[in-house]
Amino acid sequence: MTQKQLHHQRLVKEAEKAVMQMNTRRHFLKESAMGLGALALGSLFGSCGNKAAHKSSVLFDPAHPLMPKLPPFAAKAKSVIYLHMAGAPSQLELFDYKPELMKMDGQDCPQSLLEGKKFAFIRGVPKMLGPQAKFAQHGDSRAWVSENMPHLSTIVDELSFLKAVTTDQFNHAPAQLMVHTGSARLGRPSLGSWATYGLGTENQNLPGFVVLTSGGKNPDAGKSVWGSGFLPSVYQGVQCRSEGDPVLFIKDPEGMDRDLRKASIDAINQVNAEEYKTYNDPEILSRISQYEMAYKMQISAPEVMNINNEPAYIHEMYGTQPGEGCFANNVLLARKLVEKGVRFVQLFDWGWDSHGTDASLAIDLGFINKCRSVDKCITALILDLKQRGLLEETLIVWGGEFGRTPMMENREGKQNPYKGRDHHTEAFTMWMAGAGIKKGFTYGETDEIGYSAISGKVEPFDIQATILNQLGFDHEKFTYDFQGRPFRLTDTRGKVITDILS
Amino acid sequence: MKFLSVIEFLGHFHPLLVHLPIGILFVALLLQWMSRKNKYASLSAAVPLILLVGCCAAFASCITGYLLSISDEYDKSIVSWHMWMGISVTLVSLMLYAKEKNPLFAIDKRILSLGLLVLVMITGHLGGSLTHGSDYLTKPLRQLFDKDSVTNTAIKPIANVQEAVAYTDVISPILQTKCYSCHNVNKQKGGLRMDEIGLLMKGGKEGKVITPGNADESELIKRLLLPTDNEHHMPPKEKPQPTESQIALLHWWINNNADAQKKVKDLAQTDKIKPILTVLQTSVAMQKVRTDIPIATIGKADEKIIDQLKARNIMVLPVAQNTNYLMANFVTDSIINIDDLQLLVQLKPQLIWLKLHNTNITDEALTSIARLTNLTKLDLSNTFITDKGLPQLSSDSNLQYLNLVGTKITGAGITQLKGLNKLQTLYLYKTGVTAKDRLTVKEAFPKTVIDTGGYIVPLLIWDTTVIKEPVKKY
Repeated sequence: MTQKQLHHQRLVKEAEKAVMQMNTRRHFLKESAMGLGALALGSLFGSCGNKAAHKSSVLFDPAHPLMPKLPPFAAKAKSVIYLHMAGAPSQLELFDYKPELMKMDGQDCPQSLLEGKKFAFIRGVPKMLGPQAKFAQHGDSRAWVSENMPHLSTIVDELSFLKAVTTDQFNHAPAQLMVHTGSARLGRPSLGSWATYGLGTENQNLPGFVVLTSGGKNPDAGKSVWGSGFLPSVYQGVQCRSEGDPVLFIKDPEGMDRDLRKASIDAINQVNAEEYKTYNDPEILSRISQYEMAYKMQISAPEVMNINNEPAYIHEMYGTQPGEGCFANNVLLARKLVEKGVRFVQLFDWGWDSHGTDASLAIDLGFINKCRSVDKCITALILDLKQRGLLEETLIVWGGEFGRTPMMENREGKQNPYKGRDHHTEAFTMWMAGAGIKKGFTYGETDEIGYSAISGKVEPFDIQATILNQLGFDHEKFTYDFQGRPFRLTDTRGKVITDILS
Repeated sequence: MKFLSVIEFLGHFHPLLVHLPIGILFVALLLQWMSRKNKYASLSAAVPLILLVGCCAAFASCITGYLLSISDEYDKSIVSWHMWMGISVTLVSLMLYAKEKNPLFAIDKRILSLGLLVLVMITGHLGGSLTHGSDYLTKPLRQLFDKDSVTNTAIKPIANVQEAVAYTDVISPILQTKCYSCHNVNKQKGGLRMDEIGLLMKGGKEGKVITPGNADESELIKRLLLPTDNEHHMPPKEKPQPTESQIALLHWWINNNADAQKKVKDLAQTDKIKPILTVLQTSVAMQKVRTDIPIATIGKADEKIIDQLKARNIMVLPVAQNTNYLMANFVTDSIINIDDLQLLVQLKPQLIWLKLHNTNITDEALTSIARLTNLTKLDLSNTFITDKGLPQLSSDSNLQYLNLVGTKITGAGITQLKGLNKLQTLYLYKTGVTAKDRLTVKEAFPKTVIDTGGYIVPLLIWDTTVIKEPVKKY
């Protein structure tokens, strides 16, 4: 045997020995001393923690997921109507009056505003764009509203404006997720899901969270903006159609009568109930309750979702267009739903992305048409809720996902064919009304060209915290345990905007 | 001036440098102590070198410390103690180094070591007292023993803000949390002390900070309002900043002559300051517990009755967690029979919110409803009640919200409810109340917000025209 072979043999032996040692009792005891200790410590820590503090603040009853539940505090708001102008309307042509910006119209944007900043489309040095609308002060609150909202300007004394909302996302999808789910990434429950999870819904014949879209397009972030994320799926928004049947196949098929339908649903539920006895899976109970609700909805939904039985003067007031899937119809539906005890109504209206790339997205053309399509009906909604005594307990939130730049967009460094503004995250306007919100109030201020917030700056988290507060929740305590930790809508942020609460 | 700023610059190294001698000298003492054992005897060789390095660091700290003390305002006596202690640390460490190098040196090594240890600790503590305040170390402990001394951590809610003394109860707590840490008895940045009103009014090195009666001219307000990254902004941007309401309160107080004695009610209050003052009265937690719920606590309602009602599709729930007050609504079922209401009446002590809108109830039902005297909210909209049944309600005195929308109530009928003096809102849209009646109704309920609705959103040409791109002419 050569020297080399002997050496190899020795190496192999050593390796084998090392492997065998791994399997010895001695090795096991030595290694497990630490491991077992850690396990024991883990269980010790587990028992000394305050369990109550970690429990989700709301109990989930799978058999009755939408039963009304109690908020921790007596709520000001019974329901919420969230009017989301998807695409982000320009605050500079609506509520944020900036005469100084007019003076800079057409000039090159100062370097100081561009340094270190990133825009969705603006490249190089853009030109400033003055306000493309005339402004005036309205109401006793002397709030500035542009000529683009002639109806809304008559009711400014009902609203609380948030002039200095900021966000950290400059693309539609993440920014919309941010506003509605508190995270720019997918997977979190939306505002409406949290609300129905925490409060259930008063009307057991209707879903608790209804979504209506208009403008010919769903929001960029897709259905996730009304998704239930990690909450049980019964809490996701139910998207209803605003023309024809509110939910497809809601009518019983030809030849099927109500009794037969009832009998078949009872039979299905019986099978499910037996299945539950065998497997004890709570999702089966949810399924049973969903079948029962679907049965009841067949009767109640078409009635509530039908705006045709509203009197003519109401149609005139809202400016509805019967038979069309327009925003005004959705707004009227929202009122009907809230009246029937639906907890959260989410409206999305696409078409506010005024870049100036074509006429429909021009700040002085298409944008004005968008304003015309929402102005009358939103005004009507607030007045109608008010006269019915419902505004006191219905929270209205209006806004986009971000604002628009004081600069004229120059896509890829070239002048756009129409006047338009790029996405802007540092300052935009939202407003709230109803349910315990101050009337005729303005909170927050932007600098003289509306570029950034200088006081009363709020984030989407703050708005979410305020909405939850009006619904009777402390946003810091309203949690759901997921992946080993309690999650909340506002995650680690958010402050209730107490200044706008009456 | 240039020279002075160089001094100040060097002085600002002091907080950084001081940690070196503390750590290094401790290590030297530790090694020295360990090397007494045979096992670690070899460590003794390192001790002199570490001592020397520590001594040099202590010397550098002394120099920068002196420069800092002449360029900034601190409590004189603590500063001088701190300085001499620091110098002693340097000297003693030097002596200990000499002893290590030359064992013939006359003083006992143990005394020197022990002395150095004590000196380093005292000097360090004094330094800490200068930067963080002399009670910094013991503050958490004091809170542990004395429950009343939470003054520094949070502003306490005031029981009755109008009766409170403006300076002591409103203003000084703000200054305490946001200003005192740098302008106190031990440390007077800019020569300014704010913890006593006399000294606050006197101002600092650069003159007065408060111009009584003129907040906008007061240095204090000016500095607060400067952008945070301005170097004159106060408090410095890394320190906790006052909220907008707090600034508004300071502004208001100074405009009212910065008076030390007067009560809040004796000072002029603008519309802007009123809500801010009211907020002080209640802590945030209190604010969330709405006044919609009666303050008096009440016993639990009979579960059996609630279950019976629930079985009839009537929703009865407490208005919030941790309260026994109840709300009821009939939103799921619009057919109510008298038995249901009889059951409800048994919940009389707890029931405060009742919604009967869009149900079939008539005047007959009002007899039962009238017995629910704790109700604060009552919604009877779109029901069949009339003027005939309405007067029964007047014995009911707690109602704050009454919704009669879409009923046959007339102006004459509604005025019979004059007795409802707690009523805040009354909704009369789509009722028999005519425009002519409005004045009499308003007279009957002078304090109530009456909404007769009938709002019109007029159709403007604007609403139906679509704006199109002007056709380009070539």
